[in-house]
Amino acid sequence: MRSIAFALSLTLAPLHAQADMIDDILNQQILPGMDELAFTSDLLAEAAKSDCHPDSGSLRGAYSDAFDAWISVSHLRFGPTETNNRAFALAFWPDSRSKIPKVLAKIIQDDAPELDQPSQFATYSIAARGFHAMEFLLYDGGISLAGSPDTRCRLIRAIATDINNTSHAINFEWQDSYAAQLRTPGDRYQTEAEVKQELYKALNTGLQVTADMRLGRPLGTFDHPRPKRAEARRSGRSLHHVTLSLQALQPLALALSGDDAELVEEFENGFSKALNTAAQLDDPVFAGVADPSSRFRVESLQQQINDLRTIADTKLGPSLGVDPGFNSLDGD
Amino acid sequence: MTSRRGFLAGLLASGLAPQASWADLGCPAYLSAAMQTDGTHILAGLSAEGDLHFRCPLPDRGHAASAHPSRPEVVAFARRPGLFADVIDCRTGNRISRLEPSDGHHFYGHGCFAPDGSRLYTTENDYENTRGVVGVWDTTNGYQRIGSFASGGIGPHELLLRRAASGLVVANGGIQTHPNSGRKKLNLDTMRPNLSYLSFDGAVEAQEQLPNDLHQNSIRHMAMHQNGTVGFAMQWQGEPGADVPIVGLHRLGAAPRLLAEDDPRVRNLNGYGGSICFSADGTSIAVTSPRGGVVQVMDVLTGALQHEHRLDDVCGLATSASGFIASSGSGRIVSLHQSGIEPLSQLDLRWDNHLIRLT
Repeated sequence: MRSIAFALSLTLAPLHAQADMIDDILNQQILPGMDELAFTSDLLAEAAKSDCHPDSGSLRGAYSDAFDAWISVSHLRFGPTETNNRAFALAFWPDSRSKIPKVLAKIIQDDAPELDQPSQFATYSIAARGFHAMEFLLYDGGISLAGSPDTRCRLIRAIATDINNTSHAINFEWQDSYAAQLRTPGDRYQTEAEVKQELYKALNTGLQVTADMRLGRPLGTFDHPRPKRAEARRSGRSLHHVTLSLQALQPLALALSGDDAELVEEFENGFSKALNTAAQLDDPVFAGVADPSSRFRVESLQQQINDLRTIADTKLGPSLGVDPGFNSLDGD
Repeated sequence: MTSRRGFLAGLLASGLAPQASWADLGCPAYLSAAMQTDGTHILAGLSAEGDLHFRCPLPDRGHAASAHPSRPEVVAFARRPGLFADVIDCRTGNRISRLEPSDGHHFYGHGCFAPDGSRLYTTENDYENTRGVVGVWDTTNGYQRIGSFASGGIGPHELLLRRAASGLVVANGGIQTHPNSGRKKLNLDTMRPNLSYLSFDGAVEAQEQLPNDLHQNSIRHMAMHQNGTVGFAMQWQGEPGADVPIVGLHRLGAAPRLLAEDDPRVRNLNGYGGSICFSADGTSIAVTSPRGGVVQVMDVLTGALQHEHRLDDVCGLATSASGFIASSGSGRIVSLHQSGIEPLSQLDLRWDNHLIRLT
């Protein structure tokens, strides 16, 4: 039987860690990331106002920048992103029941007058909101041509305005109050250890989403590969999201490793291996998962990310006093 | 002279004191299996405030437990593939006897007593015949096994007494396993879970399946509403990321209702319902997800998700006087209210899947 020292590890969380680890993560990663999300969302709303044509280079460029900014902070799924379902309002994915095209087709058909009222639009089905809905309007062969150009234009502007409002709400809450709760535990977080555990969970969530969803969903199984399930494939962003995610998670993993030089080196090697594989994959929407000769390269990228999860689970987690889970690993 | 405890025990045993609470007998308010820091397993009795009442050693990992309707004794079931069910005196925490499954069977971790307490029913795997069964035990005669009948499907997990009619309702999870391959799932492509309504003789009176696109949503745990509605919690075995319901309600004669289907927060459950429970007033139903580290409370009438409470590794869940009480694998017992989580206790134990209310 396994002997578990979990109670001990919960109370003796890292005595050696630098006190400024949390400040560094906030100042160098989270707050600038949230600022970038708000800033690029502003530009997206502006771009949609000045040119709402689906082929517009300026609109597509602004869309791409704002989506990049979201993916780069999308692992921070706690606090401000969870208020009012903001994270889902920015990115409703995966959409296994194809709710997005269904709800968009209906809105376009109805030519709803509320489209021009941001407060009204925010009450629409969450599937009609955010970057994935906008991707359909800009890149999908069906939706981008459905109904009248005027309705679609108003819808694109409504989504861009809504993304902008949501992004600003997230950024405001982070800058205004939530960062302070991380810096000075006592209210939402009782101890510094709890804050680090929250950040550790964010790292784990990010790695899990990238391995299991961004890569796992298109991989499917060997007999049933599912290339059409790749995230944001219509805009050709699937592999790009994997890269963005790894680029955002690497500094978080390194910061959480503190002064453990061996762990830092392990993460550095692991991330650079995965980033290299991604850079050389040359398969932007993972179409290659259906071909055995190219599929293994996507699988090995997934494996390299799972290796990073193993380092996090077995080395980083214990050093931060993270309980490995009892019921969560049970499955009964 | 008859002690108060002995007097009450007599009344309870004779069925003359329906208002008397088990707590009057010195019994705990809640039960839960747990792992101790040295890796050994127990069934614990807990007070309503989450304090430890007793520890009864178990030979291996436990799962759920069930209380006799009148005698102050409880049965602790082993986690599947379970090979024991221990009958425990709930006043002292001492073991009274041990049930072992017949050859070729193992327990699934749940069981329940007949309304008069004369029978105990256990969910079991007749694994050589790939058949789910309900074992029947005579509690009036030292828990002798007196028979078994088909559960109505593969992988029966929780079973409850029906409320609107006499008999049992069984959650047949649909997953085929065999002890030779441990807990490996052998039939994910073809699994077909159901709710089976059985008579006490084992006659299948009704069965309910979900639509085919949910055939990989394993129905495992249930809660019983005062009006006979069954609340059920599911565990998704299909591809990760699928948008699937985790909680449903079923009333015999009507189609099942799937709750909060359009709320994206259902994804926070990570496809896994651990325990399920109605509120005392029956207006809401809660589900835990240790994989998502979250408890969600849904409105029984509208099906809307009302509240979400975050707690790492949460799984055990029961009704409390003021709302819900939940337990976690890191040893926490908490009280859940509309306004949030209130810690009750923190012990050096890993609370296992279920918290069972006694009073």
